[in-house]
Amino acid sequence: MSTQVSIDKDLTKVRPVAQKKDQPRAGRISKAVAYVFLAALCVIWAIPIIFGISTSFRSQTEVVSSGFRLLPENWTFESYKAILENTSTAPIMQWLWNSVFIATLHTLLVVVVISITGYGYSRMTFKGRDTLFFTLLGISFFPGVVNLIPSYKIIDALGWVNTSLAMIIPGLAGMGNIFLVRQFMNSIPKDLDESARVDGASDFRIYLSVILPLVKPVLIVCALFSFTGSWNDFLWPVIVYTDVTKMPVTAGLLLLQDIYGNYRMIGQLMGSAILAIIPTLLLFLFAQKYFVQSINLNSGIKG
Amino acid sequence: MKKKLSFVIMLVFVAATVLSGCGSSKKTITFWTPLTGDDGAYMDQLVKDYNATNPDIKVKHIVTSDMYTKLSTVLNSGKGIPDLAIIHADRVPGYVKQGLLEPMTNVMNAQPELKQDNYLPQAWSVGNIDNMQYTIPLDIHSVVMYYNKDLLKKYNVENFLDDNVVTFDEMLSLKGKLAQGDYVVNDALLTWIVFSQVQNFGGDIEDNGKPAVDTPVMKQVFESLKQINDAGLMTPTGEDGYLMFQSGNVLFSTDGTWSSTAHAKVEGLNFGVTNVYSPTPDKFTNRASSHLFTMFNKEDRTDEKEQGIAAFLEFIRKNSIKWAEAGQIVASKDVNSSPDYQKYMQSFFTKDDTEIQSLHIYTYEYYPYISEALDTYAGDIVRGKISIDEGLKTIQKTVEDKIAQSEQGEEAGK
Amino acid sequence: MTKKFKLAPVFFVGPHLILFIVFILLPTIYGIYASFTKWNLIGDPVWVGLDNYKTILFDSGSTFHKQFTNGLENTFIFVLLSVPLLIVIPLMIAVALEHKGVKGKSFIQSVIYIPGLISISAAALIWALIFNKQLGVTGNVFHSETVWAANQPYAWIIIIVLTIWGGVGGNMIIYRASLSGVAKDLYESAEMDGAGAVRRFFSITLPSIRFPLIYTFVMTTAGAFNVFGQPLMMTKGGPQESTTVLMMSIRKLAFGTGESIAGMASAMAVLLGLVILVISALQYYVMNRNAN
Repeated sequence: MSTQVSIDKDLTKVRPVAQKKDQPRAGRISKAVAYVFLAALCVIWAIPIIFGISTSFRSQTEVVSSGFRLLPENWTFESYKAILENTSTAPIMQWLWNSVFIATLHTLLVVVVISITGYGYSRMTFKGRDTLFFTLLGISFFPGVVNLIPSYKIIDALGWVNTSLAMIIPGLAGMGNIFLVRQFMNSIPKDLDESARVDGASDFRIYLSVILPLVKPVLIVCALFSFTGSWNDFLWPVIVYTDVTKMPVTAGLLLLQDIYGNYRMIGQLMGSAILAIIPTLLLFLFAQKYFVQSINLNSGIKG
Repeated sequence: MKKKLSFVIMLVFVAATVLSGCGSSKKTITFWTPLTGDDGAYMDQLVKDYNATNPDIKVKHIVTSDMYTKLSTVLNSGKGIPDLAIIHADRVPGYVKQGLLEPMTNVMNAQPELKQDNYLPQAWSVGNIDNMQYTIPLDIHSVVMYYNKDLLKKYNVENFLDDNVVTFDEMLSLKGKLAQGDYVVNDALLTWIVFSQVQNFGGDIEDNGKPAVDTPVMKQVFESLKQINDAGLMTPTGEDGYLMFQSGNVLFSTDGTWSSTAHAKVEGLNFGVTNVYSPTPDKFTNRASSHLFTMFNKEDRTDEKEQGIAAFLEFIRKNSIKWAEAGQIVASKDVNSSPDYQKYMQSFFTKDDTEIQSLHIYTYEYYPYISEALDTYAGDIVRGKISIDEGLKTIQKTVEDKIAQSEQGEEAGK
Repeated sequence: MTKKFKLAPVFFVGPHLILFIVFILLPTIYGIYASFTKWNLIGDPVWVGLDNYKTILFDSGSTFHKQFTNGLENTFIFVLLSVPLLIVIPLMIAVALEHKGVKGKSFIQSVIYIPGLISISAAALIWALIFNKQLGVTGNVFHSETVWAANQPYAWIIIIVLTIWGGVGGNMIIYRASLSGVAKDLYESAEMDGAGAVRRFFSITLPSIRFPLIYTFVMTTAGAFNVFGQPLMMTKGGPQESTTVLMMSIRKLAFGTGESIAGMASAMAVLLGLVILVISALQYYVMNRNAN
């Protein structure tokens, strides 16, 4: 909050009256700049996406025929048919449901855990708080290459092998989202909870009714990350499950890919990649209006 | 909000109780394979057909996309080890050395037809270490050479195929005669080509148990491959030679037996299969590997289960014609000598003894280290980005350092 | 009342702490222990003390020393090339999207976010086709004669292009969420005061989102040090191992086709972890000090 105050001061110093006239023009220019920048980026970003999608509708013959075409010459559903046909080893609908179940439950729990823990590390005061936080964060930076082996042993000891718990719970221990939530909570002026505390509110009360609403956008961002992360995880499910029907869809689709490297049939690889992102994409489309919701936490203190 | 919270927690507990408590049945044989994609579907069909015969113990086929990593985790923890698995030939010496495989003795006793004479010899013998048989083969899969019939005709070199062997000299004779954008050969599976050529040039990759990469023979191999590259006959470095063959710009593609199914899906690609090129028509080699059935050591594998495994393997021996659809060379002689099998392209490699002998499977314990090092350096050497001497020295050193590591660990463990 | 106050932190950070100990701390300790051993992943690790570290750091003739130094060097190159772009581009996008007049924000945002959802193997394949000389854009539209994946600096360029394409979406939405918290009236009063767009950005936007900014810097850097998928898929570490990053070597040692050399791999991973730790601590320290 101190920054905001200093900003205002800062700006009062520079107030060249003459510029006021140029204002609309400057606004128009910056708007034009923003538009050009975004449009260019959009095109660059979209071309590979369109090309990827269109490739999934090409026959292998067309994929390997010389020359670049953004769209297929002859649209074919061969790839999708091939993916969906192979249902003896691949119960795709079951996989989809497994993924929805795992990712949803995981995400809900993540939101609960990170908001509570983030509150603890940001808004509460206890001895060694920051030391503890940075120690945990530091430990989590060690790349876990061989951790697969001890992790499996732990899951086994808990009796979670071949259960969804092994997919849902361990990811809750991560530090990344907590770090993000803590950073957001640190941006919230301390006066807010102090005044609530003066009114006799408990920490849980403050967490629920003061802080939680303010960090909703970042929680939604974290939820998106968690859901997508859980959805796209492909190595851990292979280790955890011995039952093909229990697999989540991303790991499941890997079973449909060829053993000798990924591109015997390019269209199929693209097709399965596209099928796999549909749910996470839908979630993003749905969530995106919430994480940019204006919360206006500064107006509270300023008034 | 509190309500929501308790709801979530409740949901977790419900899930926990629902999800746990699914033990594995004693009445099934768990069978792990790394066969993803269509291969997995073919194997699935075989398992289904077997289970339809109402055996005492049914087989449960589990395809795993990262099987060797998963195997490490279960072997390390000692729990959840499968009853039966398919592994690749190059894994066998390592697993046997670590004492992880159970000999097939009981299985072979239960089904007398599961014996050497009924399988392609090298597929059988890769599983034989110190007179113990640890594996029963499913197939041999090999690097082979596909040719584009139309291009051979266009350049009027169909005679290359006359003696079943395309030689280096024949390929070099096309120098300067190709249209722009056309190439004689691609660099697909280059490492396997190097392994094939080592045999063709009369060498080997081991010398009394020691790795032998920095050798005169290996130098000859690379010089010859480099000659083709330097003559501009090999698809350019970093480009996808496999796709270029499918595009119809390459005369010869050195890729796997299994690629025939993919090539067949490209319309207008008129192709056939032959042996990997060689310095002389008298000697040709196709570096191969093999899918092998094996049993990892496991305490609770009952005798009944071993009987069941034997019955299943006997069924596979007699009925694995389905596996030919995957493009692989089926190891069972019953199958690969049957008339049905002859319609598959890969039957070319079992048509006579010379062909069968050309399928070379390396059984050197440290083959995987050499293979990995070649994967890293072979391309750069053939393309002249590092000198042959320097490259071979680096590979030799890399392999020796890795061997030293794995051996030290063992000695200290004893 | 006072008793309850002391218990409260336990309730807030305790549950996660338990999860952390079980699922991160224990495996990490095991990984560090493994770095002092010879281990093939399957049997029991055999204690060798500091041998692995000595070999990696000081035995200059050893393959592992070369893999480590070359890998670390290439990893640093990747970090230096990718991280600034992964911070600046999303920030520019987020700021541009904040512009009142811009229409179709959701659409633009979605297009930029989608690549991050696509699996790395499919994404790499798309770009490999685009950079393919016969089949792609570079050869057919721009008539580039170079084979990108096999020549430097192009090999790095395609790796970075793939990384940026797939990577900006995440940071973008973090910035979007952060900027939504910045009071609109701050901008309005600044605008009335005649502050230009650039000035508004540096005196309002940046300070207001400094905490999330620190987060993205630290985490993006840490993530970039762990890279291996993009170079593996696009260049296989070539040409001449110039894009072989450390994580690729580590994974090959631990999960290659031969008998695993997991002890050595763990030692390299621990060293990489220390590098990440030092760098992120520095970043945090510098940025946090400047922010306050």
